[in-house]
Amino acid sequence: MSKIVVLGAGIAGHVAASHLRRKLSKEHEVVVVSPNGNYQWVPSNIWVGIGRMKPKDILFPLAPLYAKKHIDYKQAKAVSFHPEGDSKEIKPYILAEYVTGDEKGTREKVTYDYLINATGPKLNFEATEGLSPGKNKTHSVCTYTHAQEAWIALEGLIKQMKAGKKTKILIGTGHAKSTCQGAAFEYILNVEQELRKHKVRDMAKITWISNEYNLGDFGMDGMLMSYGSNIMKSNEMVEMIFEDRGIQWILEAGVSKVEDGVVHYETLDGEYKKKKYDFAMLIPSFSGHGFKAYDKEGGDITDKLFRGFMIVDADYTPKPYEEWSVQDWPETYQNPSYANIFAPGIAFAPPHSISKPRKSKNGTDITPAPPRTGMPSGITAKLVADNIIGMIKHSNNELHHKGSMGNMGAACIASAGFGTTTGSGVSITTYPIVPDYNKYPDTQGRKLGKTFGTIGLAGHWLKLALHYAFIYKAKMKPFWWLIPE
Amino acid sequence: MTRRISKYKRFTMMNPIIQFFKFIYLSIKVLIVVAGGHGGTRNV
Ligand SMILES: Cc1cc2nc3c(=O)[nH]c(=O)nc-3n(C[C@H](O)[C@H](O)[C@H](O)COP(=O)(O)OP(=O)(O)OC[C@H]3O[C@@H](n4cnc5c(N)ncnc54)[C@H](O)[C@@H]3O)c2cc1C
Repeated sequence: MSKIVVLGAGIAGHVAASHLRRKLSKEHEVVVVSPNGNYQWVPSNIWVGIGRMKPKDILFPLAPLYAKKHIDYKQAKAVSFHPEGDSKEIKPYILAEYVTGDEKGTREKVTYDYLINATGPKLNFEATEGLSPGKNKTHSVCTYTHAQEAWIALEGLIKQMKAGKKTKILIGTGHAKSTCQGAAFEYILNVEQELRKHKVRDMAKITWISNEYNLGDFGMDGMLMSYGSNIMKSNEMVEMIFEDRGIQWILEAGVSKVEDGVVHYETLDGEYKKKKYDFAMLIPSFSGHGFKAYDKEGGDITDKLFRGFMIVDADYTPKPYEEWSVQDWPETYQNPSYANIFAPGIAFAPPHSISKPRKSKNGTDITPAPPRTGMPSGITAKLVADNIIGMIKHSNNELHHKGSMGNMGAACIASAGFGTTTGSGVSITTYPIVPDYNKYPDTQGRKLGKTFGTIGLAGHWLKLALHYAFIYKAKMKPFWWLIPE
Repeated sequence: MTRRISKYKRFTMMNPIIQFFKFIYLSIKVLIVVAGGHGGTRNV
């Protein structure tokens, strides 16, 4: 009998737990430890942030589902890792602290045979002075509560615009090393469309602010893609969309400070600039959760498990950009020191960024961090679950399932506006996610045909269809496993 | 120079009939990219 503990019930943790439960007999225990009692379909937060969906449309409570499916659930947060146990506990464990109910604040040693760390990122607002959702007129759409607050503020601003107030809206990245430009891109297009629907578009100046070197970099070094019968660069595509929507842009911007209605940023040229706004949505930098790890004697072994995020089978040797290779990226998401610990989704430490790193004249790193979107998060979680199942069934440590982001495709269906007949979406697929410049030297490391983009109403329908399909899948309704990650 | 979205292109982007077929095409294309499999990069 084996006990598998999954930390986190986001896309990665929930996918891993549900596949483990489906494929393993009931003699094996699957335990989920996660502080948020709800599962949320994060990509649809964009629509909560424009008031087109309510939080209840994108979430459901985990406890009843897990009870029904025989998954043990602890509404708690992991505090520290003890992969060798300690003087009293011979089994490896994580220390978890309950976050709700009568048990709130109590701590428990949750022992395991296998551990999946799927705790995603910490939304590191503190890394940018003054950046905090709901403060200084800045907002976030990273969680459903943030997105709901963003909509309340935006709705208020729309009312002011209707009363004749001219406004400035700023959307993009809130730190020199933020990632998730795709989410901000979706939000800016959705906000722009909402203003048109409310007939106040002419009352707002909308500006994109980003740490990208080029538009359409998306933390993936941009891409060359098929677009209809043409071949287009992602920066040309995004520029075309922004021009069409009357959106202005500021690039190479490392936001360092936010004051009430004023953002301070540094450019790659080393200049320090300011931008005023009435409403901003800025994606914070993502970091690890700051977990500590201890050995059997209580010695600090945090650096065996973490370098910010969790250490896995990547090549972390520091080397110049020219020497980066697709082989640096992990394949199994297994920790090299402890073979029974894995970290899929955003929880693993990437070997380096995907975009070319750049420093300002003052030495500030202004480079998008590598994104790990929903699809690779789900795929890596499923392959980790399959490898653990293989290890349990064959009583060995062989890992047969591999999935490097350098040999994996991703689809990004970016909403560009909500509406059954008036909506729009920018659909982009990329293969591979991390460019392989040796395999595809003439097409910027990507396979054309499998890397393509298209704009239009069908993209909105597809995004909406995915919303319903993935919530169906997450609820583990009949034949849920037939829906791919 | 920035490319522009032409009037004709905009019409095709928003026409529900054309977009219905595009939706089917897109769904299949996305499925091919996603279900197209994945693997390692080190021993290939
Ligand atoms: C606004 C927005 C829009 C997006 N849109 C798209 C999109 O259209 N397409 C796409 O592919 N991707 C999109 N993404 C990215 C996608 O949401 C992420 O890739 C995905 O959520 C990552 O999954 P994860 O499970 O690794 O992390 P998360 O989803 O962040 O889950 C982490 C889990 O860990 C839990 N946790 C945190 N701390 C602890 C702790 N101490 N102990 C235990 N558990 C803990 C959390 O409660 C949560 O349940 C979007 C992201 C955002 C923010």
